[in-house]
Amino acid sequence: MMNTLTIKLWDGFIRSFHWLLVVVLAGLWYTGGDIDYIDLHHQLGLVMLALLLTRIMWGIVGSQSARFSYFMRSPIAVWQYFKAPFKHEYVTHNPAGAYMVIIMLALLLSQAISGLFTDDAIFFRGPLAHLVSNDMVRSLTRYHKQAFDYILIAIALHLVAIFVYTVMKKRLVGPMITGRKAYPENAQVNQPKQRHGAFGLVLLGINITWIFGWLS
Amino acid sequence: MRLLTTFSALTVSIGIAALAATSNPVQASAFTQAEDAVKYRQGAFQLIRENFGYMSGMVRGEIDFDAEQFKQRSQALYHLSNIPFDAFSGAGENATDNSDALPAIWQNRSDFDAKAEAFQQAVKELVEAADSENMRTIRPAFMATARTCQQCHEGYRAD
Repeated sequence: MMNTLTIKLWDGFIRSFHWLLVVVLAGLWYTGGDIDYIDLHHQLGLVMLALLLTRIMWGIVGSQSARFSYFMRSPIAVWQYFKAPFKHEYVTHNPAGAYMVIIMLALLLSQAISGLFTDDAIFFRGPLAHLVSNDMVRSLTRYHKQAFDYILIAIALHLVAIFVYTVMKKRLVGPMITGRKAYPENAQVNQPKQRHGAFGLVLLGINITWIFGWLS
Repeated sequence: MRLLTTFSALTVSIGIAALAATSNPVQASAFTQAEDAVKYRQGAFQLIRENFGYMSGMVRGEIDFDAEQFKQRSQALYHLSNIPFDAFSGAGENATDNSDALPAIWQNRSDFDAKAEAFQQAVKELVEAADSENMRTIRPAFMATARTCQQCHEGYRAD
């Protein structure tokens, strides 16, 4: 057994966010397109919106390892990463994973926001549909129906990456549960500054409150 | 005088008979222009949607349930429920310009007609449910009607 160096990588908010995202997204998938669950789908969509908004805020004011400024790299770094993906040890997201985070957040956010402008032509009208033209409502409704496929593709890529890393004996799932990640003792890694996850959860509570107050 | 009254009554009777004959959707509809048929369909669907939307507000608890209002709306819906479908025949046949109607309607006409009938049947049951003045009876009938809308939109209405 090699000596290891353990780093606190993901704070309580990031871990809660990640697994809540999985649960809420599964619920949205299950309730989507079914007229009997449309009101539940709407409410889950608002929770999703609050989750995403809080994650973005946490990416600015949260723990270092959660900050965009900490893990975003240049496209050149992504290229170098793909040339030798397992050579370096990364604290937080690797350069390709960082872009994946942005793509995933952008896809989910556009899905959540477009949902607010949908109209099912039967009895559901999104809470903001009255603000835009009928043509815009039609386009956004169409987008909302189609774009879920892009989200599924992004999830598939995410799972494939985790699988490849697992084959290469690098654990990604464990740290997302415990928050801690073990590195070889000689790895050149520094402990990122952590903020208590409870602050993030309070922020999430505030965001859920005003979003439900405004849009439910 | 009496002769004149009899005569006008006869004229009216003939007129009603003629109307009854032309209201059969199998026969040519009154439209000579496809665009008129499309407007007619869309107008009818708009009225259906508005009435249905009003009822949905009560079913989903957005506005207070008023049994009388609900009955009136369900009856309006009942009278509207067969109106748009006449305009898919005659001049409205294969009319898809400025319309969300998909060509699949005329390719699978019997299936489309069956779905229209399912809607009309569901509305009939909704009217009966509305008479109960009880939301627990109304809700399932309302949702069943909504499902017939969705089942027909899928495949026959452009996204």
